[in-house]
Amino acid sequence: MEGETIIKVEHLAKRFGTFEAVKDVSFSVNRGDVFGFLGPNGAGKSTTIRCLLSLITPDAGSIELFGKSFKTNRSAILSNIGSIIEKPDFYKYLSAQKNLEIFARVSGADVSKKEIQEMLEFVGLGDRGKHKLGGFSHGMKQRLGIAQTLLHKPDLIILDEPTTGLDPQGIVEIRNLILRLKNEQHKTILLSSHQLSEIELIANRMVIINQGRSIVEGSVSDLLNTQELLVRIEVDNATASAELLQKAYPETIFKINSESELEVTFVKELVPELARLLVNNNMNVHAIEPTRKLEDYFMKIIQA
Amino acid sequence: MLLKNTYNEFIKILSKPRSYLGIGALTLLVGIIIFAMKADGRSIISFVTSSFEQSLTFNGDVLNGNLIAFIILQMLIVHIPLLVALVTGDLISGEAAMGTIRMLATKPISRTNIVLSKFIAGAMYTLFLTLWLGFLALFVSRQIFGTGDLIVLNSDGLVILQDADILWRFGLGFCVAFLSLLTVSTLSIALSAFAENSIGPIVSTMAIIILFTIIGSLDVTVFDNIKPYLFTTHMASWRSFFEDPVPFSTIIKSIIILVVHNIVLVGIAVYKFNKKDIKS
Amino acid sequence: MKTLLTFLIFAVQFGAIAQEANDILNKVVTKLNTVKDYTVTANVKANIPMIKILPSKATIYFKQKDKFKIVSKGIVILPKQGFTEINTFLANKKSYLAVAGDTTKIGGVMTKLITVIPNGESSEIVLAKLWIDIKRSVIMKSQITTKTNGSVTTTYSYGDKVNFGLPSQLVFEIDVKAFKLPKSVAADINKTTTEKKIKTNNKGIITISLTDYKVNTGLSDALFTKKK
Repeated sequence: MEGETIIKVEHLAKRFGTFEAVKDVSFSVNRGDVFGFLGPNGAGKSTTIRCLLSLITPDAGSIELFGKSFKTNRSAILSNIGSIIEKPDFYKYLSAQKNLEIFARVSGADVSKKEIQEMLEFVGLGDRGKHKLGGFSHGMKQRLGIAQTLLHKPDLIILDEPTTGLDPQGIVEIRNLILRLKNEQHKTILLSSHQLSEIELIANRMVIINQGRSIVEGSVSDLLNTQELLVRIEVDNATASAELLQKAYPETIFKINSESELEVTFVKELVPELARLLVNNNMNVHAIEPTRKLEDYFMKIIQA
Repeated sequence: MLLKNTYNEFIKILSKPRSYLGIGALTLLVGIIIFAMKADGRSIISFVTSSFEQSLTFNGDVLNGNLIAFIILQMLIVHIPLLVALVTGDLISGEAAMGTIRMLATKPISRTNIVLSKFIAGAMYTLFLTLWLGFLALFVSRQIFGTGDLIVLNSDGLVILQDADILWRFGLGFCVAFLSLLTVSTLSIALSAFAENSIGPIVSTMAIIILFTIIGSLDVTVFDNIKPYLFTTHMASWRSFFEDPVPFSTIIKSIIILVVHNIVLVGIAVYKFNKKDIKS
Repeated sequence: MKTLLTFLIFAVQFGAIAQEANDILNKVVTKLNTVKDYTVTANVKANIPMIKILPSKATIYFKQKDKFKIVSKGIVILPKQGFTEINTFLANKKSYLAVAGDTTKIGGVMTKLITVIPNGESSEIVLAKLWIDIKRSVIMKSQITTKTNGSVTTTYSYGDKVNFGLPSQLVFEIDVKAFKLPKSVAADINKTTTEKKIKTNNKGIITISLTDYKVNTGLSDALFTKKK
């Protein structure tokens, strides 16, 4: 049922002593979404996710998962969710295989040893099943964590900052795994991150939260396309290119960084047009790199 | 789900090196006591019987396996709580420290079941330790020293129990000793539900036992009202089976108090763990 | 003169009393000496303050002149002295002075009191009072005071081995007021109230019934030296 609401959070609030971790967070995730849960560190992402998994009892607001509430359907809800919160923690003194067996036993589904092995292979740890967790790298644990989320074949996967602390190769591996979950296994995925670029690459919808409040929610393309990017352009002659572009966009400021590089703040939709203009005027374009800084983006949203 | 997670808890306990630390320590301690008794048991016995030996002689095999078993039990029952708490005090808080409790609590198993399965596993570990102690104390020392009548020194004098009249006393004594150790296990698990690290509950359990034991052993009348309700007071009630006649009503009272302690502590742990925000 | 006469009369009388006592003791010792060795089954019942023990069984082996051994499966509590010491002591006639005293009835048997005082200071026994059945030449009651262990009173009963002077029952009355318990061992953790010090009777009674005597079977010395 495409479009069915899987997660519905309304006016969630949670306080730890005098610290208000979450003040007012609302969002909804539909079936099939890869939903970005975006916010800077300390915005309340982890607390919200812990509430979603019944690790923390919220002070106010409501949470519905699969149309049910935790009060009456905790077991049923959790048996349909796989999750990693912050970092996957395992029993160091047990092997990868044994760890998965432990979690499979309480996952609410019958998972065979063969399926566990298949899961290990899916995350690229097929030959590491017998190894104790003590010797695993962070990236390997993260992949094992993903295997653990899939054991009981849940519909919803919640991943809290899954790429934190990983090296670039690890980040790519995890990102590819998430894409495979989406494309091959058609899971609904809630992915929290403080990196907009990561969300942009994977998610179709997102919510941005800051200081315990949800600020904006919608489709990633809608939200990001209306926003300007910082575009770095590499050409043979930066000065000539700047002059050419200035004529076409008199309102825009083109900053010359060096002989071969200029920089401009630009709307994403207009980037192809800009490239075409340079090429049609026989300028040699070596690179056009749009980058977006989350902090800037937040500032803009908050200011708006 | 309770059974499945209890099985999980067994695997965890069996895989943790510290579980074997307790068994190893126990074996070593019993070994040392048996060695000491073999080497110099007579002088220890005469320390007990010396005041009687001015006018009486004790004929027959006084230093036998039954006496050694009794001495072992009497000496170690004070220390085994530490070995129990070492494992059980870590059951909840150790997972909190490791972060795995977070993983576990996001699974479709109720928190009550998580706590109960830990209690069951803790109880089984305690039972195993008690049985191991029983095996070492009774079986091994009876193999080495043989059997015989048992001289027990109680506060009101010597009781000499006949060989044929002893095994049932040890059997029931071990059952009550298990119940007291179970109370230690339950206490440490309950404390474990409040903590985020494993040292805290282990140290707290021992601190409580030491405090209660000191209160219990102070011959001061102001504590007389609370002494009967301290679980440590009843931890030595296994010994009552070696009195003649056996004070069954006192033992039953001790059993009731220990069972009530267990129920209340499990209740506290379940309540606390259900209410707990898992932030680790 | 009068004084001398009094002294002479006293000396003669005392001599007579001592002679009478020695004669009685001689008969007792002679009778006991007919027993070269014996084996007997003892049933021991101990009723001693601060000690709880069920009746226990032991086999006692004896061989002249002072070989003695108790074999029991369980623990048997016996008085420290009073078993064979007196026999051994009496056998050495030079080591003591015996004085005859009053006659009393003990258990319906007329007895003569003989007081035995050791000559030297080396003897463990300080004083022994023996009530002897002159007719049968057996000890009916003894009260032995030793240097270190206080006094033990023993009452004797006889059965079919009266010819050998061997009793069928011995009742020991022992002074036990000196019993003290080592506190560190005796401390009960599960004691819930502070108790007053335990008051005890100061007499303990051990009753030994002796049955199945096997007399003069020729027990070997090895039996007494061999360790269990």
